[in-house]
Amino acid sequence: MLEIQNLTKIYEDGTLALDDVSFTVEDGEFLVVIGLSGSGKSTLLRCINRLVEPTSGRVIWDGEDITAASQEELRKIRRQIGMIFQQFNLVKRSSVMTNVLSGRLGYVNPWLSLAHQFPREERERAMHNLELVGIAGKAQNRADELSGGQQQRVGIARALMQNPKLMLADEPVASLDPATSHSVLKYIEHLNRDQGVTVLCSLHFLSLARRYGTRIIALKAGQIVFDGLPEEIDDHRFKEIYGEEAVQVEVR
Amino acid sequence: MNFEDKTWLQRGRWLLLIALAAGMYVWSWNAAGMQPSLLIEGAPKARGIIKDLLQPHLFTRPEEIQEAETVIEAPCSGSPPSPAPDEGSSDGPAVQIEPACASAEDPVMVSGFGFRPNTSGRLHWAPAGMQGRLRDEQFTTDAQGAFTVETTVPPLLEQQGGVSGVVAQVEWESGALQPSEPLRTTIEKIIETVFLALMATTLGGIIAVPLSFLGARNIMPRTPAGNAVYGLTRGFFNVMRSIEPIILATIFAIWVGFGPFAGVLALSIVTIASLGKLYSEAAESIQEGPIEAVTATGANRFQVVVYGVVPQIVPPYTAFTIYQWDINVRISTIIGFVGGGGVGFVLRNWINQTRWTWASVAVWAIVIVVWLMDYTSARVREAIV
Ligand SMILES: Nc1ncnc2c1ncn2[C@@H]1O[C@H](COP(=O)(O)OP(=O)(O)OP(=O)(O)O)[C@@H](O)[C@H]1O
Ligand SMILES: [Mg+2]
Repeated sequence: MLEIQNLTKIYEDGTLALDDVSFTVEDGEFLVVIGLSGSGKSTLLRCINRLVEPTSGRVIWDGEDITAASQEELRKIRRQIGMIFQQFNLVKRSSVMTNVLSGRLGYVNPWLSLAHQFPREERERAMHNLELVGIAGKAQNRADELSGGQQQRVGIARALMQNPKLMLADEPVASLDPATSHSVLKYIEHLNRDQGVTVLCSLHFLSLARRYGTRIIALKAGQIVFDGLPEEIDDHRFKEIYGEEAVQVEVR
Repeated sequence: MNFEDKTWLQRGRWLLLIALAAGMYVWSWNAAGMQPSLLIEGAPKARGIIKDLLQPHLFTRPEEIQEAETVIEAPCSGSPPSPAPDEGSSDGPAVQIEPACASAEDPVMVSGFGFRPNTSGRLHWAPAGMQGRLRDEQFTTDAQGAFTVETTVPPLLEQQGGVSGVVAQVEWESGALQPSEPLRTTIEKIIETVFLALMATTLGGIIAVPLSFLGARNIMPRTPAGNAVYGLTRGFFNVMRSIEPIILATIFAIWVGFGPFAGVLALSIVTIASLGKLYSEAAESIQEGPIEAVTATGANRFQVVVYGVVPQIVPPYTAFTIYQWDINVRISTIIGFVGGGGVGFVLRNWINQTRWTWASVAVWAIVIVVWLMDYTSARVREAIV
């Protein structure tokens, strides 16, 4: 269970990105975070694994206070939380294999890993995860030789290396075309349904949020303006979240 | 102010600008000492040099020499010496002089036979009691290996008095081509240049790497201290880059003496400044995203550096380093002129000795090596970036 309690983030320049946000995510949920650009979605996800330090409030994961964890404890927590990014964030000049293996850094012998030495079972695990996302054939390619959709699958394989209990996905399909978006989201859905990974995923399109989310949270100016089931978002609610002028765009 | 005033003023401003520009060019024409006519007047002088530069002295054949000697008495004493009979066999070369004694400027006839046929040679006088020889007429032997030269007795022979030697010498090249002395020296020195540049690139690069982090905006914290270090480092790079390598080389040549070491030191400084700047810019262009992603997996700091940072900076750093090596080879040929060692140093010596065909070898070697370095470094850069 993930508990977010009174989370507030004020950036150095004074921007209030999260304003007293509280909610709870049960194990096995596929929680979609929606909201306009700048509403604080990325900030929220990044506060959970402390890529961004919250200004105040607490994040509690399985009873453990992430916000109070020491650097060493934080590493142990982070390795159970997979993260995928809108820009994929692969190391472009490294091979696909190296990128995937880097997902395992929190578990392997740190000294050997500095010399790029990974045990055989870890290499096998990496190959297996690449097979899961369907690009085992590209293992030796440089990451930047892959298409956007393929890169995001590498990003997922990297996160899978962590055997995550929680997956944070920050607009994982915003740079992809609709068909590819669906195939990527389906992998995440598969993780959620078949392996019981809790998912927190921010999405731009409400249609995608409705299709994949088991629950939706909407942010506006750093505050939660909606928390409920996908089917509860009617026209009125939609206008509340996205503003009066907004029109629904569908991604099928 | 009415309309006419305005156009008058504008026109006046234009005239002023044109006059100013004209003045500047007159000044610079004088300052530059422009005398285009010299290009034509001086052409005959340059022709020889340019011709020599186009004919690098690359190869030689071993020279073979045939010599025969006889004697002449000057002035005549009344009892002319009989030339020592040639010790060699009768078919060896021999030379005779007619008459056997004479005074200064008297005509004499020197004839020789048994030499290598159709070969050019030269007549020498070996004045009595002197080490050196006087060079005289050139000749070419006929198909039978004989020649005849008419000349006059040099006054020096009469001054020295007594019996002087008359030497006929023919010279020809034979055997396989061998690299000439300038070619051998050039090859040795250009290798020295390339490796001197490598040493300087390595030393400078090692120092430039940590400095480049201090000069990278995204690495230095935005605190007053961080800003100060960043500003100072960038300032240092810029100031050092504006100092001519030749000045640095002169300083180090005085400091540690002429030779390659002075060159290495000067080039290292050049390298620190130039690589420091290039490295800093490469470090500034690394992407945050991959670093965050590796951090998010629970990797420790060292792992983040090895997996997130190193792959992003090693290729550009390597490319810049190879590029700098290439540049350093170029610079080192120039700083060799002021005592920085390498091929530049011998080139300067040969130019000072007006041995243009020798200098030509060095000039061409530099052209070839610089081109090769440029080509290879471009290829390697393409491959890694
Ligand atoms: N590093 C930062 N420094 C200062 N302000 C920031 C920083 N990162 C984000 N912000 C601000 O915080 C607010 C929330 O940003 P955030 O990136 O969380 O929004 P988002 O909902 O993810 O937007 P998008 O849909 O465009 O990704 C915005 O006003 C943004 O300008
Ligand atoms: Mg965002």
